[in-house]
Amino acid sequence: MAYSKELLEHYEKPRNVGSMDKNSTDVGTGLVGAPACGDVMKLQIKVSPEGIIEDAKFKTFGCGSAIASSSLVTEWVKGKSLDEAATIKNTEIAEHLALPPVKIHCSVLAEDAIKAAIEDYKTKAPGSAVTEKEDGLDQSATG
Amino acid sequence: MTAEQEKSEIHFADVLPCWSCKGPVGGTALFCETCGAVQPPRPVDAFARFGLKPSFDVEIGSLEPLYFNLQRRLHPDRFVSKGPKERALSQSQAASLNKDFETLKDPVRRATALLENGGHLVHPEGCNTVSDPVLLMEVMEMREALGEAETSEDIAGIESQTRRDMDDCLKELSSAFAANDLDVADRLNTRLKYLVKLEDEVRARKFAPKAMA
Repeated sequence: MAYSKELLEHYEKPRNVGSMDKNSTDVGTGLVGAPACGDVMKLQIKVSPEGIIEDAKFKTFGCGSAIASSSLVTEWVKGKSLDEAATIKNTEIAEHLALPPVKIHCSVLAEDAIKAAIEDYKTKAPGSAVTEKEDGLDQSATG
Repeated sequence: MTAEQEKSEIHFADVLPCWSCKGPVGGTALFCETCGAVQPPRPVDAFARFGLKPSFDVEIGSLEPLYFNLQRRLHPDRFVSKGPKERALSQSQAASLNKDFETLKDPVRRATALLENGGHLVHPEGCNTVSDPVLLMEVMEMREALGEAETSEDIAGIESQTRRDMDDCLKELSSAFAANDLDVADRLNTRLKYLVKLEDEVRARKFAPKAMA
């Protein structure tokens, strides 16, 4: 079976591999796993006071499709707002990487991971993305 | 043994007529006692196939002689002079026995069979994701430790830790099934899957040491 150019590209040169401080209040961490294949995926986002994802990192132990899916998602979410990032669908990931049907669950894992990271960020800093955004606007208006 | 006794002893499956001579065939008998024709496999679970009550505690070593004996009796050499129906039935019996024996032998598959028996849905392969943070954090840390392991001592340490975790997990699974606590058993089975995967990765590292940077 031939894998797509996009998939191999992300697998061979994964983007944004690494970790952030999960205790930091501007970092959201999503940790998900697919027990059937023993995959575990950690996806982290660093969110600006304006609610924009400034940086994203991942660490995945799993097959090539799982690595490529998480790598792709970290690229896609950078610069997006939390709400925009939350709309990423596994089908878009699977389509972009041309994942074979048996590997669709890898894209599901990546979607779950970004959602979990956003959720984690929101529970850690409840309402901060909204309130701080308003604060920021106020400051720029008055300043 | 009468059919009644056989039935109560293996506690499942009714007596059905032999497809060939219409004589009574009980339980999961491979052959008709009347005419000796090989029978089709009954739709029973892996435990019943071997005359066992559903339980996580299967002594596979004591089942092996029975299994090998049955497979010998189903060996294709014994069916060369038989008709196509008996040849086909002997093959499907052999395949069912093999599949069910593997299910009993492998702790993850055994646990999955028990969970399904109890009506506890285990998602098909690859379709489920878990977000049990404690388990996943532990798995992440073990996989990172393995990735960072430099010496064969480091790897041996992770290997023995994994072995201990696995033994503990199997004991806990046994207790959970004994107490019929399927939610706990399901979670432990997930943990076991990760430990099996970790063991595979440890083995892979042992035989393919990290490339020198």
